Amino acid sequence: MKRLFAVIESPVTRVFLVGLFALSLQTTIFNTLRPFGVVLQVMLLFAVCSGVAGGSENGALAGFAFGFMYDLILTTPLGLSGVVFGFAGYMAGWANVFVHEPKWWFKITTVMVSTATAVVLFPAACLVVGIDGLLDSRVVTLAVTCTVFNGILALPVTRLMKWALVKPVRQAVWAE
Amino acid sequence: MIVVLLLTSTLLITLDMRDSGFVGGIRDTFGAIFRPVERFTNVVTTPISNAWRGVVDYAELREENLALKDLIVKQEGSAIAAAATVREAQELLALNGLPTLAGIDSVTAQVVGQSPSNFSQTFELNRGKSSGIRVGMTVTNGAGLVGKITDATLERSVVMLATDPEYAIAVKVGVCPTKPAPSTTVAPSTTAPELEVGTATTTGSELDPGLIGGPVESADPDATTTTQTTVPPTTTTTTTVPPTTTTLPLATTTTIKGFTPFSTTLPPRPGGATQITVPETGGLLPRETGAMEGRGIGRTPIIRFIQSSSRLGELCQGVPVVTAGGSQSLAPADLVVGTVSRVVNRKGSAGPLLEVDLAANLESLNFVRVLLYQPATEIPR
Repeated sequence: MKRLFAVIESPVTRVFLVGLFALSLQTTIFNTLRPFGVVLQVMLLFAVCSGVAGGSENGALAGFAFGFMYDLILTTPLGLSGVVFGFAGYMAGWANVFVHEPKWWFKITTVMVSTATAVVLFPAACLVVGIDGLLDSRVVTLAVTCTVFNGILALPVTRLMKWALVKPVRQAVWAE
Repeated sequence: MIVVLLLTSTLLITLDMRDSGFVGGIRDTFGAIFRPVERFTNVVTTPISNAWRGVVDYAELREENLALKDLIVKQEGSAIAAAATVREAQELLALNGLPTLAGIDSVTAQVVGQSPSNFSQTFELNRGKSSGIRVGMTVTNGAGLVGKITDATLERSVVMLATDPEYAIAVKVGVCPTKPAPSTTVAPSTTAPELEVGTATTTGSELDPGLIGGPVESADPDATTTTQTTVPPTTTTTTTVPPTTTTLPLATTTTIKGFTPFSTTLPPRPGGATQITVPETGGLLPRETGAMEGRGIGRTPIIRFIQSSSRLGELCQGVPVVTAGGSQSLAPADLVVGTVSRVVNRKGSAGPLLEVDLAANLESLNFVRVLLYQPATEIPR
């Protein structure tokens, strides 16, 4: 039983559950709410906030997991969002290395810069695997809108990702 | 760790692009886990979505509703003319044992969701493999071509729109109609003009309404009439058609997969005289075939590989575009795609590019029809 609880409370399970929650928001409410015709990137928000909350390596892993889950419901090649979101998570975590105790505004800025980079990087990655016609001027509108949205929600989501990524103390006790 | 992630991504992309069954299995399993969560979230968030739509779309919906009402009134007449033309075409095709769209079974499905991505242009339908839908099947609506099925689970399927950059299909382009000089010919005669059986006529309103605009079944050689013939670019005709139901004969044989020799009961002809506008017949003649490719969100598809030769006829705006068909094509022949909206001439032997206005409004899809016709190129090996 203790082992079962340990599995349930592990960061992997938590990230998976948070991912399911984020994906369901992405495909329902944020699929309807399209400011300026742009689909807001909730999965990307969770990916970059993982980096801010858990560092570059955790950010890369969690970002890859979120991207992979997103790919599973899209028609784009499986793994493409995974690698882009993984990179965004890594980038967000890496930026925090330079600051001892990042302030709230720094976290928001990191999330916004990582988001913009990922939104531009995705059509470029599509181009690499042979999907043409996505890298055009519309990407700028997408990047600006997604960046602003992710900046607004950066702090609460970072807090949520901190809960998901940091190993709980009780689990450590059970594991002994 | 980062290297492992990169390698994993590369492996997954490679497997997916080679249509691996492993990747399909993962997608199906994840779909089974995710659907209940999505359904629950949908129930919870629907009020918020509706409130958002109410705030953002209300004025637009009111205007659209009024415009649509006007459009319906205008199209009622045209639909009657189109039904008569389709009936004639199907009768001719049936007589020659050729396949028609009427011979292909179809499934009506509702659009239940669109892609949660800014880059892929897909829609989700509420029907899947259990309704006979398979990958590669063509999707249409009342207006014309919509796209093709790219993924199908038991109860759901995903449609890639014709505007997606990955979508390409062979099409036929109509020839630009020659512009006749606006003239009126008055031909007083003591004998009836020579009329061929089956020729459509355009006459004044004094003549027998039963004959006006329809196929001539017989020409009375003893009649003495004065006929006034006007040849305008578009012809307005008054049609009276008795309400009947026609059962077409069985076609003989066909080699097209998914096509069943048909016995089609056409809808009854509408009764009463109606003022209708028939499009110029010149625009319906095919000029040549080309390849139509999507170009992404907000951009019209283009047609390549069209020759710029006056021998084949002029290219111009407004000519119809229909699917070319053929054993390797994604869709059966003569499915309405849209009209040419712009001709872009290019230097050298590249030939012109044609921009196409799709007949189907892809912005507001609700119910669509999936033709249960799987092209040979889409059948899994």
